[in-house]
Amino acid sequence: MNATASDLPEPLAALIDGLRALPGVGPKSAARMAFHLLQRDRSGATRLADGLRGALDRLIHCERCNSFSEAPVCGLCASPRRDARQLAVVEMPVDLNRIEETHGYSGLYFVLMGRLSPLDGIGPRELGLERLIRRALDGVTEEVILATNYTVEGEATAHYLGELLKSRGLKVTRIARGVPAGGELEHVDALTLAQALVDRKNY
Amino acid sequence: MADRVDQAESWVLHTRPYRETSLLVDVFSREHGRLSLVARGGRRPQSSLRARLLAFQPLSLSWFGKGAVRTLHAAEWQGGLRDLAGGTLICGFYLNELLLRLLPPEDAHATLFDAYGATLRALVAGETPERCLRRFELVLLEEMGYAEPLHQTAAGAPIEAERRYCWRPETGLVETAGGDEDGSYAGAMLQALTAGDWSHPAVLQGSKLLMRALIAHHLGAGQLHTRQLLIDLNTL
Ligand SMILES: [Zn+2]
Repeated sequence: MNATASDLPEPLAALIDGLRALPGVGPKSAARMAFHLLQRDRSGATRLADGLRGALDRLIHCERCNSFSEAPVCGLCASPRRDARQLAVVEMPVDLNRIEETHGYSGLYFVLMGRLSPLDGIGPRELGLERLIRRALDGVTEEVILATNYTVEGEATAHYLGELLKSRGLKVTRIARGVPAGGELEHVDALTLAQALVDRKNY
Repeated sequence: MADRVDQAESWVLHTRPYRETSLLVDVFSREHGRLSLVARGGRRPQSSLRARLLAFQPLSLSWFGKGAVRTLHAAEWQGGLRDLAGGTLICGFYLNELLLRLLPPEDAHATLFDAYGATLRALVAGETPERCLRRFELVLLEEMGYAEPLHQTAAGAPIEAERRYCWRPETGLVETAGGDEDGSYAGAMLQALTAGDWSHPAVLQGSKLLMRALIAHHLGAGQLHTRQLLIDLNTL
């Protein structure tokens, strides 16, 4: 793409510029996406435009779980069928969805919308950890399940949340890691196996 | 620099998303120093590199290409080191932030590399974190050529246990005129520090302040994120 922005019709330049807001999308990719949407998939482009507009206009953060919601309190948090004594802390809404897909958890959630990432300057203030502490101290929550990722950032997040919540009298647990379901040791990578040995449990 | 590097002993310092599906990985390698590698497709769920590029784990990395963008094509976990856990994780992030901020790219520092590994091993083994960090900071400053002579004053006089000294940027250690001046260090602490004797808590406390002043001077503008994170956590 050698054309400069000024050679393009204004709406096209604006679209390309808008697409660059997506993570990891540079000018070339943005131009390719714009031409694809306009030339080859106009109905897809309409769905994208409507979806973006609808999400921007109607979504807010749920007061209870901090995930996206249309109402001040989302359906999951408002459901009488959930066990309010358990609170699982996850990094992103997609993690909440993954746990829901297991049909094995009936407690509530708090979505951090990120993780502590010291080298990127994302600390407790940027992450708004005090909201989680307030949420967990609602007097009903008994156990906080730390379900952040097993990355170094996710582990650091879990550690500090654990310290903060335990000091306030809550029971804190961490999701386990190790050999995957159906996993044969022969095919498990060495690091996972080493961690599974460290985290072994009484049997 | 060679076009192709095979199985270089390395540590991952930091990873960031790059383009749609890749990762930009800052690594510290024994023979090649600090450099950035692109792990192409490193953010795809099925990427074999994805789970191996963990910080604080000894790795053997292979890459090719030169200039600003080198491509990582293999990463092998070397094993033998347990994960940094709990509060020591932030110590690890602190070491990485120091290297990212102070170590110039593509400058091999084998001594510093070995000190980094030894520090992680000591942290994992449960040694007092403060002691591990101070020892590493000293090696880092020495390797960077930043270490002021701490065994003598700027004027060349030997440090005496009973006297007190101030450290001034661009000058070095200066004996204080009158007693316990603010921000001054006991001569005995400086002697223990240069001798590597950390057994006394006052030595750890004093050297923490001195190292902080030295590092802040060489960092220039901008607080260390890891330090700010600990300050913010304490207010919660
Ligand atoms: Zn909710």
